[in-house]
Amino acid sequence: MEPRNDTEAVAAVRNAERVPDSGGSNGVKTLVFLRDRGIMVLWLLLVAVFAFWAAPYFFTLTNAALVANSAALTAVFAAAVAFGILSGALDLSIPGTATVASVVGGVIIHNGLPVWLGIVAALAVGVIVGAINGILVQRGLNPLVVTIATLTVMGGVAQLIAGGVPVTGLSQLGWMGNTQYFGIPAPVYVVALLFVVGWIFLTKTRAGVRLMAVGGNIEAVRRVGINANRYRILGFILSGVCASIGGLLVVATTTQASPNPSVGLLFSALTAVALSGMPLTGGRGSLPRVLVGALIIATIASALVIKGIPPYIATIATGSLLVIALAFEKAMSSAVARRLAPPPTAALETAPATTTQEA
Amino acid sequence: MTNTGAAAGLRLSGIDLNYGFVKALDGVDFEVHPGEVVALLGDNGAGKSTLLKVMSGAHRPSAGTIEVGGDAVDFRSPRDAADSGVQMVYQDLALIDAADIATNLTLGREPVLRGPLGWLGFLDKKAMRRESLRELEALGVTTAPVTRPVEMLSGGQRQVVALARSAVRVTAKGQGALLLDEPTAALGYAQTRQVEDLIRKMAERGIAVVVVTHNLPLCFEVADRIVVLNRGRKVADVATKETDNNAVVGWITGAKAAQAHLVR
Repeated sequence: MEPRNDTEAVAAVRNAERVPDSGGSNGVKTLVFLRDRGIMVLWLLLVAVFAFWAAPYFFTLTNAALVANSAALTAVFAAAVAFGILSGALDLSIPGTATVASVVGGVIIHNGLPVWLGIVAALAVGVIVGAINGILVQRGLNPLVVTIATLTVMGGVAQLIAGGVPVTGLSQLGWMGNTQYFGIPAPVYVVALLFVVGWIFLTKTRAGVRLMAVGGNIEAVRRVGINANRYRILGFILSGVCASIGGLLVVATTTQASPNPSVGLLFSALTAVALSGMPLTGGRGSLPRVLVGALIIATIASALVIKGIPPYIATIATGSLLVIALAFEKAMSSAVARRLAPPPTAALETAPATTTQEA
Repeated sequence: MTNTGAAAGLRLSGIDLNYGFVKALDGVDFEVHPGEVVALLGDNGAGKSTLLKVMSGAHRPSAGTIEVGGDAVDFRSPRDAADSGVQMVYQDLALIDAADIATNLTLGREPVLRGPLGWLGFLDKKAMRRESLRELEALGVTTAPVTRPVEMLSGGQRQVVALARSAVRVTAKGQGALLLDEPTAALGYAQTRQVEDLIRKMAERGIAVVVVTHNLPLCFEVADRIVVLNRGRKVADVATKETDNNAVVGWITGAKAAQAHLVR
């Protein structure tokens, strides 16, 4: 045990015997910092290394805009995955939702109806699919299976709506696609707005904090008398809305709405989320780190492209990095856990402390 | 028991509970008064967890009545029990590990900011910290800073947070009882002492406390009264100072006959 830090009083019943506790010690703080901020440190390291290795083209404002732009789509879908995981469920229906949203928005705009109506309709698709997922899961069905089912259904629904062919010529969304404002590509603004709003929601509002709590320990939330299911459904809805935004971004940048769900995007989003150290068990993690996860993928790809190294090397590098990040996160978490909560020791004087439960 | 029920924090009379053909509880009377700590003892399968589940609203009894603060109640769910002021602290503590102490303590009744931001559900984090601190102080406990995540606390500290969270809710209702399931099962010696001390303090503040445990030293340390169940029946209900370890062990194992006034 390390010496107790007096400025941060340890929990002890007043006047009772105080036990040493390492909760405030610096070793643990470092570990926690590495666990929570390691991904940012890693990204800065990568940027610093690439700045020299891929000089002079890597460390420029132009390239920064390119990296940000190529990270944008991954980041939006990663936010969708993150909202699901934070509320306690891995939502695999995201590509399906995105596709239906883009096709619905695309058909509306293609038929000469106002652009805002297309956007609202696309977002509504996200809300509806999310609500369906949430309600099914809340009925006790397995989230993975439910969302795979929704993904499959949505693939068909998108084909049905689009008539089996992509909806083309959708240049009306160009203002959030290939346009630049002040030298920064439009999708970057969308991502920035989404992540700022999402971060504020999760950390500053009651609903956000409860959503994370539901992901962390749904039983605990139920026991304090909160309708926990409502927050599970909210998580799926937010995931669906983010997926819709992603679908709209795809339409905006490609000027067409394809009715084929892109599962590849889901996997790069999952990679970004996993890189951010967000455990799939839920209730833990942060959106800014997810953004950095998406940026890391784009940064590696960019540097390798500049150096003329084939893109498949980038995927190998990203995959390896993912395993390393996971191992690192696990090592940090268990180190923190070991230092803070040493395994329960049998107390001689209070002997028969059996924990056996009655049948 | 023939006490008048008016002052009882929680009172159960003639509780039967059948699991199929198995009579898990058979005409059990139980009461706990504000400011009193009652230890509920029994061997595995004696029915103490079942009785606890009846008190906390997780199980509905097949027969019998439950009163809180003198009023008859019908618990259909743990939420009903909580609404009447009966709070249960489970062995698993049910804390949100990633959230800080203040969030855990105020979960479900979080203060929001005044004005438009409050309508949007923005939390008043300062008020959360202030209230948590005040509540912990009211119970006479100091913990780590309330901004520390619960996962970074020791086992004893976590137990203190879980106890405080439930105790605050009982106090807020002004009636009911605090039910503790093996509060020291996973704790070392010093931490067990802390929790014992906290249980006594909560009783001094007028909270009715029920402790279910296998831990006899704990029960002699904190309990005013000891209730022993054996095969679904109450076999002993004695003031702690009128009994001793051997007698209690006898009742738990069935080696000692039930108290005369409890035999039907």
